[in-house]
Amino acid sequence: LHRCPTAMDTDPVKQSFQAIKGAVQANDTFKNVTILSKLQSIKPLDMCCVTRKLLEFYMERVFKYREELSVQISRGVSSISNSFLPLQRTVQPCKARRLCPCSEEATRATSIINSNYDQLEVQAAVIKSLGELDVFIAWIDKHYHPEPSTA
Amino acid sequence: MKNVLHWDPPEGLTGVEVLYTVQYFIYGQKKWLDKPECRKSNRTYCDLSAETSDYEHQYYARVKASRKATCSKWTETGRFYPYLETQIGPPAVALTAGEKSISVVLTASEKWRRTLEEGAVSMQQVYPALVYNVSMYSPQSHRMWWQCVANGSLVVPWLEPDTLYCVRVEALVPGPPRLPLPSEKQCISTLKDQTQEWKIK
Repeated sequence: LHRCPTAMDTDPVKQSFQAIKGAVQANDTFKNVTILSKLQSIKPLDMCCVTRKLLEFYMERVFKYREELSVQISRGVSSISNSFLPLQRTVQPCKARRLCPCSEEATRATSIINSNYDQLEVQAAVIKSLGELDVFIAWIDKHYHPEPSTA
Repeated sequence: MKNVLHWDPPEGLTGVEVLYTVQYFIYGQKKWLDKPECRKSNRTYCDLSAETSDYEHQYYARVKASRKATCSKWTETGRFYPYLETQIGPPAVALTAGEKSISVVLTASEKWRRTLEEGAVSMQQVYPALVYNVSMYSPQSHRMWWQCVANGSLVVPWLEPDTLYCVRVEALVPGPPRLPLPSEKQCISTLKDQTQEWKIK
């Protein structure tokens, strides 16, 4: 099956996140709860669907509430949010070309993520979701890493 | 992925017998867990490799100091994510010399194992996008080469015969920058030019 998308450039997101990671995770006081559970069990077939839905999750339910955070974190979130736009544009054609199917499992995995978010009060859920961005980006990198070109 | 927690003794108590207790927390789980080998210990480090061996989880650790009947508060780490933060050891490097070339064969380092019975897991399996940064240096000409290699082998051509070359290799993986751990410098000489030999006879 043709893999779509073939690669995702996550470096801009990683750089912006690295700058606020310590502050964001320090503000997450609920260690016993995670938002992005079950990511590691997603099958290759469902990668595109879950990636698309999680990009949307972050844009609609996390970055949108950045005003409620400290200035430093909020500024970092703005640049992360800007860096998500090209990622969404990378995935969008896959859906248009029906190369981004959503199985029942993929839909269930993303609804679990949304219900994890709903268990918490909005600000706590936003902070926790932000603090787990490294997990989401590492997951994307692991599956969509471009074939390294030898110099 | 050997993960060792280090800390400094409390200020003003260097040389005084202080004992330390360590606990760790698996992000998303319910409670802090003890590390028996690091309870009431006088060492200022604690090996948590076994406890953090699932590199796709995230962890916290905390330490408290005690002296006689008094105890300090806990000091806690930030969230530790082995997959993105553990240093990656260098590969094993095998060099073979030709007359005007050197072949470099690299074998990825392995994940830290609790016991030898545990199956070996190569860093290549953990990081599919792992690449090697190979640097070669000629002590005689002071020339230097770098090459990024994705698979485990490389032949460096157009070298001088009968000349010493030294190689160092570092494994690079995606994610935030990590402290580099290059391989030991290894040197080898290219073979003598056979054509010259025949002319002399």
